[in-house]
Amino acid sequence: MRLTKTMRLTAMAACAALAISACSTSSGDKKSSDQASGGSGKTGGSISVQLGEPQNGLVPQNTAESEGTQVLHGLFAGLVEYDNKTNEPKLRMAESIETTDSTVWTIKLKDGYTFHNGEKVTAQNYVDAWNYGANQDNAQQALPFFDKILGSDELAPGKDKKPTAKELKGLKVVDDKTFTVTLKAPFSQFKTMLGYNAFYPLPKAFFTDPKAFDDAPIGNGPFQMDGKWQHNQQIKVKRYDNFPAADGKAKLDSVTFKIYDKLETAYNDLRADNIQITNKLPISAMATVAQEFGDRYIYKPEASVGYLGFPIATNPAFAKADLRKAISMAIDRDAITKTIFSGTRKPADDFVSPIVPGYRQGACGDACKYDPAKAKELFTQAGGLPGNKLEIGYNADGGHKEWIEAVGNQLKNNLGIDVTFKPFEKFGKILDALGKKEYTGAFRMAWSMDYPSIEDYLRPIFSKIAIDNGSNYGGYVNEDFEALLAKADSAKTDAEGLKLYQQADDILLKDLPYIPVYTYMSSAAYTKTVKNVVVDAQNRIDLANVELA
Amino acid sequence: MSEPTNTLDGKAASAEGALAKGAKGGKDAKERVASLWTDAWYDLRRNPLFIIGGLLVLFMVALAVAPQLFTDKDPNSAGFCELASSLKRPSADHWFGFDVQGCDIYTRTVWGARNSIIVGILTTSLVVLVGGTLGLLAGWLTGFWDSLLSRVTEIFFAIPLLLGGMLIMSTWQKGNAWTVSAVMAVLGWPQIYRLMRSAVISNKHNDYVVAARALGAGTRRIVTRHILPNAVAPVIVVSTINLGVYIGAEAALSYLGIGIQSPAISWGLMISDAQSRFLNAPHVLLFPAAVLSITVLAFIMLGDAVRDALDPKLR
Repeated sequence: MRLTKTMRLTAMAACAALAISACSTSSGDKKSSDQASGGSGKTGGSISVQLGEPQNGLVPQNTAESEGTQVLHGLFAGLVEYDNKTNEPKLRMAESIETTDSTVWTIKLKDGYTFHNGEKVTAQNYVDAWNYGANQDNAQQALPFFDKILGSDELAPGKDKKPTAKELKGLKVVDDKTFTVTLKAPFSQFKTMLGYNAFYPLPKAFFTDPKAFDDAPIGNGPFQMDGKWQHNQQIKVKRYDNFPAADGKAKLDSVTFKIYDKLETAYNDLRADNIQITNKLPISAMATVAQEFGDRYIYKPEASVGYLGFPIATNPAFAKADLRKAISMAIDRDAITKTIFSGTRKPADDFVSPIVPGYRQGACGDACKYDPAKAKELFTQAGGLPGNKLEIGYNADGGHKEWIEAVGNQLKNNLGIDVTFKPFEKFGKILDALGKKEYTGAFRMAWSMDYPSIEDYLRPIFSKIAIDNGSNYGGYVNEDFEALLAKADSAKTDAEGLKLYQQADDILLKDLPYIPVYTYMSSAAYTKTVKNVVVDAQNRIDLANVELA
Repeated sequence: MSEPTNTLDGKAASAEGALAKGAKGGKDAKERVASLWTDAWYDLRRNPLFIIGGLLVLFMVALAVAPQLFTDKDPNSAGFCELASSLKRPSADHWFGFDVQGCDIYTRTVWGARNSIIVGILTTSLVVLVGGTLGLLAGWLTGFWDSLLSRVTEIFFAIPLLLGGMLIMSTWQKGNAWTVSAVMAVLGWPQIYRLMRSAVISNKHNDYVVAARALGAGTRRIVTRHILPNAVAPVIVVSTINLGVYIGAEAALSYLGIGIQSPAISWGLMISDAQSRFLNAPHVLLFPAAVLSITVLAFIMLGDAVRDALDPKLR
């Protein structure tokens, strides 16, 4: 998933440069599902919402960044969606998703869903869309997500090779409402993946003219396009009246996504009620927003975790786990999140984000607790660093300088080492330099999930396979960890899988291939004109539920 | 030093004027040999612009040479920056307050002078050395070499200092005082080259040069004794003003993140780090910015005063 991850993390970094809130998540606490389906709330009205210019055309399979995802969230409805509180997957367009062995999955669709052009949503629409996304000739961003499905290698054999098939062997349409998915190997978290926008269906109209879809997609969600995407200006959507009422029909008549390139401008427009909701706030607003917006200011943990990483495979200086633990204990996470980030991030105490099922508070234990005396002792015992020097690399475009320097100062003060910094122009440049083994210092790293599963925080960054085909830039390999992941994948139940993933997480917490430093918080605000504003697990505003106050 | 200067009518007249003024002052008027340089020094001593600028420059140089005299803290020592003091306001113990990392801004500002002064002086020296030598050669040799050098110069002259500096520094990615100076010198020498060349050409045909040649003086003697001393004045003026400009340019490059790199201290870097929190903590930005402005101003004032003193047309 390297490509997607890189793009996503770069986008995230860019976001963080603009605003404290990055591009992901937060779990809601004001969900009013009764009102949503009961129709007791007011319907009608129009609002405007802040948006950044999406990176690509609005094709679900080609969208991996926050802005496009926000728009698609209203235009499409997935097989599952995530609970705003617990982030557990729950069925949406699917009537049932069943498996006995975690390898063959049978998906049944609900009745009553149509695309915005009137076409009925059938199993074939899903299969067609996934085949399209999995084919490397189409160069879709979400291609790595189809990797687990049987036959994906034939559609994506790699660079310079031609796909030898047009359809995934693992996808079979049983009837209009049913299809089966066969995976290459058991994967207990497959159902959780299905809420990601890569798995949205596509109507027949898409395949006759994919280009037109970029600016005016035809979805199956509660909102439909109202005109075309006006680049760098706005995207207008209106309620789709044939959306099944039981599944959260939109209440507003229309929503205009106003495209801003400066968060400060958007925030000023929010204060003037020119836009009604924003899910990204500028740094300059952080000091006053809580006071100004009161309970209309949403502030919640979100999916990204910030790490300090070590190229264990290429630099033997970092090989000892105790040394990494000493560095971890010399970092005062509390002070950094409070002063540098003004409380907009929280100290990390697990490799997994707090919003994901399976996160355990304080799992990191002593290793993540600030204890300069013990850190120094452990550091000396582990033999210290060669030349008593440490270099930390970071990308200069993402607002990381301050916290990296703060970490540097703390390591200098507490371990008595010289710390130097190496800014890279972009996040991708550090990753390239690490991949080519040109850079062997410590580096800053962040990870955001694609689907809310503990597995998505373990395999893509720490597994052996992710060294070549993922984001394991430290080159960490642990056979016990691999074995536990495999065991967890083939677990019969979610709960059993979760336990095994947690055991794998425990191994990471002992080895500390990366040091978890902080988790991100997302911040959003809305004006008095609207109510029922919920920001979900991926920092998306749940627009279908929003209504005028 | 350069006796032929007095043969020029204008210079002689001004020298007389100076003598007359000196006589009014009543101090060693009859002993003084009036030359361009003594005149200039005489003028400078009485120019408040020069005195203020000179004192400020001296002070900055003192900061650069011996920061320990002005602060007892060492910004490179462990424990210098404590997050607990982050963004604290100026107080009696810490005159300039603390920055976001909890480092004492006063100490950092004092220690930051060194890089600025190094860059200023080093760049100016390199520029004068390279531009001056090449300008002298081109002006003296004329013909083919002059054409060749002048075309090369025009190529360099076409690259703006800051833009070119950004381009080179961002590709090179090794920002410290020495590399920044080298890059700015590479881009800055054509100006001095042009000045030197035109000064040499205009002096070359003067009577005293012809006379020296007629008396059998060699090329080296003519160049070092007659041409150089008379051509160097405009170079000194422009260099002094430019020294301030180079310090400002270094700050700009560091501000953009491609000049001097942390943990080294540079005023430009301090300003850059402080800007995002300007509304909450203006003191973090204002102190280094003020010191930077004063330093650049000091050099420009000094240059202005020197120009007034050395340019006969302004008298």
